[in-house]
Amino acid sequence: MLKKLSDTIAANDYYKVWLKDAWPYITGAVLLSIFQIVTMAATGSPWGVSAAFANWGAWIYQAVGGSVEKLYYFSSDGALAVLERGFFRDPPTIRNLGIIAGALFSVLIASGFKIKKIKTGKQVVAAVLGGLLMGYGARIGFGCNIGALYSGISVLSLSGWVFGVFIFLGAIVGSKMLVKYFM
Amino acid sequence: MKEVTLDCLGEACPVPLVKAQKALEDLEVGDVLVVQIDHSCAMKNVPDWAREAGHNVEIEEVDDGEWEVVIEKAK
Repeated sequence: MLKKLSDTIAANDYYKVWLKDAWPYITGAVLLSIFQIVTMAATGSPWGVSAAFANWGAWIYQAVGGSVEKLYYFSSDGALAVLERGFFRDPPTIRNLGIIAGALFSVLIASGFKIKKIKTGKQVVAAVLGGLLMGYGARIGFGCNIGALYSGISVLSLSGWVFGVFIFLGAIVGSKMLVKYFM
Repeated sequence: MKEVTLDCLGEACPVPLVKAQKALEDLEVGDVLVVQIDHSCAMKNVPDWAREAGHNVEIEEVDDGEWEVVIEKAK
């Protein structure tokens, strides 16, 4: 009975187009633009992702007894106020949790969820190295590909375009390194 | 006519695409390359590239979050 029902759903055209198959790039682009406008209107700031991760790091550091007040990055009153308010009262943090929950929901409903195996030690090294470089780059560059590139361009800032040129150059170097050392 | 299977399970983009491109170079026209993937963005860029290059492509969903991209080298 249940098997029959799941087969019926799997064969349904609307299920396939809306939930199972990836949406076309253009649909994604239009939706991201609409949500960017909503984000701007609702919060007064454009969409950003990685700044919240720096706060997560600060909260973890504080939780184990560290102090970040002396760090230049957190030295402004605004930054300290955000840390003061805490994890659950930081809108970008909640939005990041929403992105993770939404991504999980979308793969579950498309029955595409899978826990992937780690194949080699090289993968671990590449992932850790890549994560560190991305995190460091995003903070030293005042934004990642969302906050600095996508949001920068959408608010007509020249910095977004400059960031875009160099992220392409970086991606070329990164891909060459990936092929040479990690494949 | 031979069939070659390329295990790209657990590999993230762009590794499956680069590996598939390399593997196909070594094959003759009419040979079949089966690329096993479990990374959803490879499910888009591997078939996109292969179709663009003029090969025959079929995608099979083998399990939850696991696919086989079957590429028949056409030229």
